[in-house]
Amino acid sequence: MLQYVARRLILTLPVLFGILLISFMLTHISGDPTDLILSPDTPDEARELFRRKHGLDQPIWVQFYQFCVHALQGDFGNSLRFNEPATKLVLERLGATTELAVTAMLLAILVGVPAGVIAAYRRNTAADVAVRTITLLGQAVPSFYLGILTIIIFAVWLRWLPSGGRGTWLHLILPATTLALNLVALIARTTRSCMLDVLNQDYIRTARAKGLGESWIVWVHALRNAFIPVLTVIGLQVGLLMGGVVVTETVFSWPGVGRLAIQAIYARDFPVVQAVVLFFALIFVGVNLIVDLLYAVLDPRIGYR
Amino acid sequence: MKNTIRKLLLTGMLSVATLAGAPAATLTVAQNFDPQTLWPNGTTASDNLNAGSAIVEALFWVDPHGEEFKPLLATSYELEDDTAVLVKLREGVKFTNDEPMNADAVVHSFNVFIDKEKSPAYARVSDPFASIEKVDDLTVRIKLKYPFPPIELALSQLYITPPGYWNEVGLEAYGQKPVGTGPFVFDTWARDDRLVMKANADYWGKLPEGIDEIVWRPVPDDIARAAGLTTGEYDVASNLAVTSAMELENNPDAKLVPVPSYRIYQIILSSLEEHKSPLMDKKVRQALNYAVDKQAIIDNLFFGNAVALKGQVLREPQIGFNPDLEDYPYDPEKAKQLLAEAGYPDGFEITYKFPSGRYAQDREVSEAVAGMLTEVGVKTNMVVLEPGEFLRQLRAKELQPMAFVGLAPQDDPDLQVSQYHSSWRYSYMNSPELDALIDAGKQEMDRDKRVQIYRDAMTLMRDEAPIIFLYGGVDFYAVTNRLENFMARGDGRFFFYDTRLQE
Repeated sequence: MLQYVARRLILTLPVLFGILLISFMLTHISGDPTDLILSPDTPDEARELFRRKHGLDQPIWVQFYQFCVHALQGDFGNSLRFNEPATKLVLERLGATTELAVTAMLLAILVGVPAGVIAAYRRNTAADVAVRTITLLGQAVPSFYLGILTIIIFAVWLRWLPSGGRGTWLHLILPATTLALNLVALIARTTRSCMLDVLNQDYIRTARAKGLGESWIVWVHALRNAFIPVLTVIGLQVGLLMGGVVVTETVFSWPGVGRLAIQAIYARDFPVVQAVVLFFALIFVGVNLIVDLLYAVLDPRIGYR
Repeated sequence: MKNTIRKLLLTGMLSVATLAGAPAATLTVAQNFDPQTLWPNGTTASDNLNAGSAIVEALFWVDPHGEEFKPLLATSYELEDDTAVLVKLREGVKFTNDEPMNADAVVHSFNVFIDKEKSPAYARVSDPFASIEKVDDLTVRIKLKYPFPPIELALSQLYITPPGYWNEVGLEAYGQKPVGTGPFVFDTWARDDRLVMKANADYWGKLPEGIDEIVWRPVPDDIARAAGLTTGEYDVASNLAVTSAMELENNPDAKLVPVPSYRIYQIILSSLEEHKSPLMDKKVRQALNYAVDKQAIIDNLFFGNAVALKGQVLREPQIGFNPDLEDYPYDPEKAKQLLAEAGYPDGFEITYKFPSGRYAQDREVSEAVAGMLTEVGVKTNMVVLEPGEFLRQLRAKELQPMAFVGLAPQDDPDLQVSQYHSSWRYSYMNSPELDALIDAGKQEMDRDKRVQIYRDAMTLMRDEAPIIFLYGGVDFYAVTNRLENFMARGDGRFFFYDTRLQE
């Protein structure tokens, strides 16, 4: 098991290097940040000083080499806009993003899984149709639109919730729900189809024949067996969550990493973009490693060597 | 279950009520971005400056009410000759860390200001400044490299910092926790969330009435800014979209403050040899001006909230605005006739570039213009550009032969018109007559003569038609009814001097 984890972690290194290379190339071929940070009528002399100060006057391969050397030490360089270390800017906002993402994920699991189970168990009833309709909508409505809609309804019309910012748990409701809705849809739909499959298995009939209670059969026997694909989906959707955070944090003025990322991208603030990309990649890889390890917990037949 | 939900919602409502009804003495301002630095000479972005200049003050300021130049840390200035300016400083002013605001502080701040590495964003206005000398404790003499008529513009952007504290913490840290002489002092800053400033009890001047605390909130989404203003979470919201503004107009608790912007929208018509196109012919450029119904764009895309240009790039309150000029009227027949005279009776095809997401309604305006040009036979191949790439192309002189831009230079005719000088990095025209006028206006210290020079330049530009004259933008702010006397400038700047917040 430990050997497996070690091997997986080592395999992660080329992945992260690839991510660094791609993000570096994509950001650098997209243009020169000087044009965005200094106004167009800035004299050339001042622009050259700015470019030299941030190493933008070097050949691109020198920039990449420098960047890799420093990145290995956890230093992504100073933000071009804030003049502060990019790593610091990301870490400062990590708490807010974690709070939002974890709440959204828990919400998605707590709503999505039971909804999927009920839809499967009461297949083709009104409950099933309701779950399917709502999840379809949840997957179809883009979160920037949903976010604005919830602000107008719950903040402006009803005055129940604040329109944005971070503070009390009330501030968390709208952004977390908006972020969760997409995931709820996916989790519910996956749970439903996996449950349908499992509920037709022989061992479920056996369990019924043994006289086990119906809810015990559904929520323990069936769900545990149906859960592995759901877990995979959850692991993969961490990526979606990271993407969703970028939009949701902007709409709800949430002071997190996603909003930092979008502003950095617009301003071609390379160091910050790279720090955020690598940070998101680390989380994605980490969560999926944990998901793989959880398979063994759910299904004793799976072992890792 | 029902009861629990009701209870939860009720607690929710109560908490929101407490939030909204925060102490009357707090003023919450929602801007687009969190400042990158609170040192005003660190960037020219208005969101930074609005917050930073509540703490750090300049020698002079330009009051948004009437755009009048007024003393602040200086009491007066005097031109000793064309290249020497004597500045008298205000007596008895201290920074909030007790350092004195005197000639030494101004000398220090000046030297940082003219250092193009430390203040690259101000390189253009600081360029005429050569050196400074302390005359006595409250007088300094500034030497210029060349006569510079917009000297007031430059003096109003020189922000004064305490040399002791500055040298102790350095430029970056100063921007994160500034010490100044202003009506507010830095309190706390949770990045991207809230920046809190408290009123400066020892302020040398008159504090804004009734404001004990200002909270600056970055709210990137403009619909969310308008929503927060409606719910009372914010007292001031800047940079609203025209659609949000129209909705807020009917809100009884808030005032809408529309401010004509310094940004002039235009379509570049490159007449340069190197950009060979039908636009090299003056008649074609004039024809395109006749072909575009500018009023229809203003009325339909901005609900009337844009300023028609009078066939010139200078705004009505500016020095050199020519009151005798009128814009090209909308006349597609005349356009067709001019095109035929120029040898294009059936029109032509041309590349037309525009940004998406850089300016208000940029895509919509560009598409409307393209549609109108098609009516007179000019078929455009539209190229949409991401804002960053758009700015790169502007500077690289690649926005040719035809492109939509909104240029917002600082408030002086030279800074505005120099952009059409043949030597300017992104000028898309080459007219020796215009160059001569620009060169003359640049160093003319006599105001009346300067006015005449720019009036002549405007007449020439209208005839040469290096651009399609479109419209001047309007910025929208909304403020709570409790805040009195709020006003902003066309460059997105606002101050709280002379404002009053009611209980």
